[in-house]
Amino acid sequence: METLHLPATSNTPEVAFDFAQGHLTLRGESYPESAAAFYGEILAKTGNWLDGLQGARVHVEVQLNYFNSSSTKMLFSLFDRLNQAAEEGNTVVLDWHHDVDDETILEFGLELAEDFPAIEFHAQPIES
Amino acid sequence: MSAPREMNTETQAPAASANPCFPGLADGLIFFYAGYFSQNIITAIGDAVRLRLEQSDAPGSVRRKIFSTFIEMAQNIVHYSSDTLTPPDQATMEMRAGSVMVMHTDGQFLITCANPVDAQYADKLKSILDPLRAMTTEQIKDAYRKTLRADTEEDSKGSGLGFLTIAKDSSAPIEFQFAPNEHGLFMFTLKATI
Repeated sequence: METLHLPATSNTPEVAFDFAQGHLTLRGESYPESAAAFYGEILAKTGNWLDGLQGARVHVEVQLNYFNSSSTKMLFSLFDRLNQAAEEGNTVVLDWHHDVDDETILEFGLELAEDFPAIEFHAQPIES
Repeated sequence: MSAPREMNTETQAPAASANPCFPGLADGLIFFYAGYFSQNIITAIGDAVRLRLEQSDAPGSVRRKIFSTFIEMAQNIVHYSSDTLTPPDQATMEMRAGSVMVMHTDGQFLITCANPVDAQYADKLKSILDPLRAMTTEQIKDAYRKTLRADTEEDSKGSGLGFLTIAKDSSAPIEFQFAPNEHGLFMFTLKATI
């Protein structure tokens, strides 16, 4: 369970979760037919890894071009779990990449920052 | 054999802005698809919608909202249309019928979807959409925030955020109707304005 790697498809993001390095990356599009099915394994494996993790540094990079409403909910759950890990004594840094004119993705990032204050949040605008 | 008079007229004097592939259709038609929807079909026509929008003069933020609305509507058809090719209880690889249309008129983009539903589901949709239509922009944002943090309803195949996402991006209240059809079902149509 040291890494979880799923290549990008036209409607699912590249998932590169290197648990040994504490480096989690999501990149691409996210509008699968069932977000619950797609993110189920990701949430479960990440949760298992975070269980019992202490004093670690976790770097999360999210660069999603688009995600649909059901993916939004799953991402919220993922960051809920990461926030919990941060409250338990780990350092969680989130680089939230968004297109400069993409207010929807920036707004969602700011919602995450507001709800999960234990996560160190950095909005990273991308010039289009 | 002479061609019908109307055809002649069109051939001789095509309007400069006429739809190049479908001369009979309105100039403002950006995209239209009717038929069966599956995840694969949505991904493929989603690419076409994106490319088509890139050729319009709509700013990036508007194009993103149109694409998002299109995806939410198309995925609703796949999950909830009563006209289904796959067994109704099959939860993945579904294929169901409906239509989605994107129009550009008077500086606004109109996105409309349609699919049949049974009476029971029509009632359920009404109970969700009536209050949503009456909400102000701020109330829609509040409801969105609350739903994002709430547990998902059991009969939803998504997050319960789909209609809120459409309403949040719409610059005017969403419009919808249920028209009875000859099979005892209702044709559900939903329109968003961006």
